[in-house]
Amino acid sequence: MRAFPSARLLFAAMWVGAQLALILTAARRPDGVFGFRMFPESSTVAVTLYRDVAGEGGVSLRMPVQDGTWTARDRSGAPKMVSWKDRVRRPELATFDTEMSASYGAAAQIMRWQAALEDVATHLDGDADTRRLALEITVRRNGHEPRVVRLESQERR
Amino acid sequence: MKDALRRFRDEIADGTVLGPVRAVVGLLLGWQALVAAAELSRLGYFGDAFHMPLVPEALVPSHRVYALSLALRVCLAVMVTLGIWARPALAASALLAAWALLCDRLQFHHNRYSLACYALLLSLTPCDRSWRAPEAGGPALREGPFWGVRLAQVQVSLVYLASGGSKLLDPDWRTGLVLADRVARHAHLAVDAGVPRALVDFLARADVTSALAKAAITMELVLVLGPWLRPTRVIVLWFGLWFHAVIQLTAKVETFSILTVAMYGLFATPDRAARTISFDPSTFRGRLAAATVMLLDWLERFELRPWEPDDRRGHAIVIVRRDGTTVTGIRAFAMLTRCLPALFPLWAPAALVASFTKRGDLSTRA
Repeated sequence: MRAFPSARLLFAAMWVGAQLALILTAARRPDGVFGFRMFPESSTVAVTLYRDVAGEGGVSLRMPVQDGTWTARDRSGAPKMVSWKDRVRRPELATFDTEMSASYGAAAQIMRWQAALEDVATHLDGDADTRRLALEITVRRNGHEPRVVRLESQERR
Repeated sequence: MKDALRRFRDEIADGTVLGPVRAVVGLLLGWQALVAAAELSRLGYFGDAFHMPLVPEALVPSHRVYALSLALRVCLAVMVTLGIWARPALAASALLAAWALLCDRLQFHHNRYSLACYALLLSLTPCDRSWRAPEAGGPALREGPFWGVRLAQVQVSLVYLASGGSKLLDPDWRTGLVLADRVARHAHLAVDAGVPRALVDFLARADVTSALAKAAITMELVLVLGPWLRPTRVIVLWFGLWFHAVIQLTAKVETFSILTVAMYGLFATPDRAARTISFDPSTFRGRLAAATVMLLDWLERFELRPWEPDDRRGHAIVIVRRDGTTVTGIRAFAMLTRCLPALFPLWAPAALVASFTKRGDLSTRA
């Protein structure tokens, strides 16, 4: 008989311990990754994109963006087409003003949209006009009354 | 407790039943790799655009390395399916699939993560003893250590526990609100697909969605322990099979249902050819039954034996069970549905009918 406990028992204990830890802490992660929470919600999101630009006297103006695409001037003053989809390719994070299923739950989608917003804002290399990007997300969780979540990127320099 | 741990560590059993499970996992690994390759072609390389790595960016592969890893995953999946160095191929597939998920959280899906977990655990089992290409390499023995199988079974239970437990703790799920909203939002799609309007309206009722939610939670929690207990195993797995069939038909779950049902194979008792089928080779029915069993006995539950034809009219097949008792007619059919995976969806009704027969035989007298 081999020594007790053996490597097999140690591996099994570590595997089950790790799985349990991931399952029990899944609620702390907005998208519940590694938590096996199947069909956690029946929620929807509808997202509208805005950009803040300098208005008269330097006052910030918030303008809605249609279909994630806008025209901005670059540093030389030349107009340029800019698209959200240049950076964000996944359709569920690049579709605007349309109600969509929030797979993995509303919190997961809000977290992902926030991260996408920051990513796009930091990659607007040819856009000298936009000071900040913002999202307005209408969330309807499990058929409850809708609520609006507003997200903003860091201000661009 | 010490004895149980010792049994877990030292158990040796026949790995024949694991071959089909490995083959299905191989196919699913290949499918996932091809889906990822199609996404690479459609959306471009994820690392060039917005992505959410769970590991440091330095560990995210370059475009070329990622494309190579997908090609490698396809090759490994073929090896797993055909049983060529299947266990190392399973482990490598699992690690590559997990790496891809860790490199981009946006690609995370529970079924993909589950597949990586099961592939890794299967690599620790004697799953390479059957369903393998000739000259595939690996041990010739049928038996092997079974601790990895037990661990994979624990993983099945953990998945159900997490899924059912989280729903139980969520008031919106418990009361049926989640299902009610799903039905309300997708009712028009169901009607367009040909589901009768009256049925959709019935399913949308608050009391019905509440009852369905409670039934789904109960089903998942029963599946945590039910497969472990011999008296409940077959009935629980049968309900689980239909539960997943309904999920597969009504929701977008990629390959999760197929994967989970394949994992039910892990709960098959590892007793190769412990039952015998004697068939009458002089009759069409006997030959048909034998051919069907030969074709569908993926877990190798039966030993087939033709008997010497005689003048007496009687059964086309006789099954000798593990306990030595014999069954014929509808009870033999029920036995086949219990042991042949492709016929398993028919098991409960067949067993129910068989339970009403005198000595299990509707068609002939003993």
